[in-house]
Amino acid sequence: MIQLKTMLNCIDNSGAAVVECAKVLKMKRHAKIGDRIIVVVQKQRNFSESGPGASVSTSAANKVRRGDIRHAVVVRTKKKLQRPDGSVVKFDDNACVLINKAGEPIGTRLNGVVGTELRKMKWSKILSLAPMHL
Amino acid sequence: MASLTPTLRPLACWKSILRHTRQQKAATRSLTTFRKPKPFTGPIADQVPTPHVNRKLKVLPPPPSVAALYKEPIKDLTEDQIRVLDPTGARTRLFSKTNTEAAKVGDVLLVRLKNGDPFAGVCINIRRRGIDTGILLRNELTRVGVEMWFKIYSPNVEGVEVVQRRAKRARRARLTYMRKPKHDMGSVQSIVAAYQRTRVGARTSNANDEGKKGGKRKVKGKK
Repeated sequence: MIQLKTMLNCIDNSGAAVVECAKVLKMKRHAKIGDRIIVVVQKQRNFSESGPGASVSTSAANKVRRGDIRHAVVVRTKKKLQRPDGSVVKFDDNACVLINKAGEPIGTRLNGVVGTELRKMKWSKILSLAPMHL
Repeated sequence: MASLTPTLRPLACWKSILRHTRQQKAATRSLTTFRKPKPFTGPIADQVPTPHVNRKLKVLPPPPSVAALYKEPIKDLTEDQIRVLDPTGARTRLFSKTNTEAAKVGDVLLVRLKNGDPFAGVCINIRRRGIDTGILLRNELTRVGVEMWFKIYSPNVEGVEVVQRRAKRARRARLTYMRKPKHDMGSVQSIVAAYQRTRVGARTSNANDEGKKGGKRKVKGKK
């Protein structure tokens, strides 16, 4: 149930750690696994905590900065998701992967399990990057 | 009728003839839809009311009720469906309440699926609803907690195996407290891997005819 203001973990190496949902695209309801959303990067990975004006040398590899607005795909939800065969999957956190406007992932690696619904939604690139899908 | 029409205008006669036939046709049409009354038979004198005799009315027995045949239709249907989906009865026994060797909440279960990748986890809830009976398994994959419900009679589920039993009987029906960090078991992958290693060893030494149904047999053998 990803909607406006939902905070999600970002599980790729694009540099974002925590992002906030700003918009669910193409529908007037909450986003589920495989849905595309717009997010605002709230927290960077490996960002020095010395202050807002600190150098960002540590995050040179980071492709996104705090405050960036990006597209993302939801890959895990806390909300139970029922499959057509009657099984239900539920993760302990909400997570997403940042993508560009063309739909390609910004990061090159994913760490963490993702939902198999991505296959149905034609996110095979994300699925192939993921270490595990369920 | 036609003869009555003036001869000066021979065509004019057609109009009246046609009108006539049309009327006739309308009359016949309306008559056909009428229910014909029964022909009056004889004069009224014949229809003298017969003296009232206490005739017994023939009472027909009611048609056989389907409700009597199927006292508990839903139960019968459920049994039918279970017979189809679980011909050996292994799964019913594995999750029956009366079976002392049945899988209980708190056990580590392994669900083998048709699509190949099995799922293992601690069983934290068993939802007994006849054919809709499901189990809730919890595991930790790549340091993310994952919970999955499986329908035990689903054709997608090839088999359910008990990997590890809980040391002490759980005193709750649903172990949802295991979601809390304090009680979380974490990943059960190592337990499952150890179990599978012993299984493979047993299988190679034991018999070679144990094929795809090995899991089920193992479960049965435990009883």
